[in-house]
Amino acid sequence: MTTHNMLIAPDFSPERFAGWHMFNTLIQKRANLNMHLNIPASQAEQQGIINQGDIQVIYANPFDAATLIREQGYRAVARPIGKSDEMVITAAANSDINSLEDIKAGATVAMADNRDVKLIGLRLLEAVDIAEADLNWTVTETYQAAARQVIKGDAQVAFFMAEIFHSFSRLTKAQLSVLIESDLADISHVLLIKDGFPDTDILMDAILNLHNDDDGKEALAELGMPQGFEAMDEEDAEFMIDLMQTLLD
Amino acid sequence: MGSPLPDAMKPEMPAEQVSMTYHDGTSRTVYDTGIERPYPDGKLIVSRTDLNGVLTHVNDAFVEISGYDVDELIGKQHYILRHPDMPKAAYKDLWATAAAGQKWHGYVKNLCKDGSHYWVYATVVPNVRRGETVGYTSVRRKPSRSKIDAAIAQYAQMKQDEEG
Repeated sequence: MTTHNMLIAPDFSPERFAGWHMFNTLIQKRANLNMHLNIPASQAEQQGIINQGDIQVIYANPFDAATLIREQGYRAVARPIGKSDEMVITAAANSDINSLEDIKAGATVAMADNRDVKLIGLRLLEAVDIAEADLNWTVTETYQAAARQVIKGDAQVAFFMAEIFHSFSRLTKAQLSVLIESDLADISHVLLIKDGFPDTDILMDAILNLHNDDDGKEALAELGMPQGFEAMDEEDAEFMIDLMQTLLD
Repeated sequence: MGSPLPDAMKPEMPAEQVSMTYHDGTSRTVYDTGIERPYPDGKLIVSRTDLNGVLTHVNDAFVEISGYDVDELIGKQHYILRHPDMPKAAYKDLWATAAAGQKWHGYVKNLCKDGSHYWVYATVVPNVRRGETVGYTSVRRKPSRSKIDAAIAQYAQMKQDEEG
């Protein structure tokens, strides 16, 4: 049996790691496919793997999806239901930054390496006349490290993926104050399939029906997608890409 | 092209009555109460139109701030939101840029159903499908107060120039 390759974009919360393995095990069994799971540790590693040209299925973040669809021969077939990509801007709870307006030029932002979070955060800061060049940037290994930096006062502000922020312990969250949380709603990760992939129908059938039984529900719960996946058509994907084009500048 | 827009309902509060004439030759009466609605924090206001500027999609944030029901928006000309303080030249530039396949950015004062208004930083992109433009997507973000103030001054001057 041919072995296919699936790649998961690296920008998920570490606690979802087991969920992706459960997901892959289940869909292999149900679609009767051999699927090797690739989980790159960084954006650069992801790009390197995709460029080798042997990835048939990608769970991609929306900004990568634009390029993959328009330039690299992938098409969007599904997305998680009710799970849009959002971000949070926080300061230390005991700092004098209580709103976006309190962020001044020269402030330091701590964040893990995630250009989508950075881009959306910068769009939100436009409303208070703060641009990328007005800020100092500290890129941390993890989101937790970014939280520690702002709690210790080494950075004034931290950017997080909203899902990761909400997964922090109560103690960590109590030491941070949320200045804004995005509510973009229309932008999410998407499941892409390479043009010409021969087993699209059986793979889609397995993925779209995961929420219909206990094993599938367990995997989806681990992924933070309790409602499962919904099918996407070409126009759904093009709409999202158009929308994202407006956020690039 | 969508049906001509009916006159706006007269608000209960004091409001300036203005007759608007659009590029397609139709006119309607609108009211301007001068009241500004705050932009919803963290959200994008999204709409799509066909090639003629007729609304084909509006998101929840669009509906909520505009004060209209979805049914009052879909199928109507996008200029249902046009505020009398906006100079014609701004829209001319928008449509010329988008029709040429380019992205357009600008600050826009929009009129709500009840005569209040809200400011946005709008980006319009053409929806290109298989090499052909089939419509336009407009996405609005929250503008800063300083940018709004600059736009107020600029648009007032442009309006003055247009009205001679």
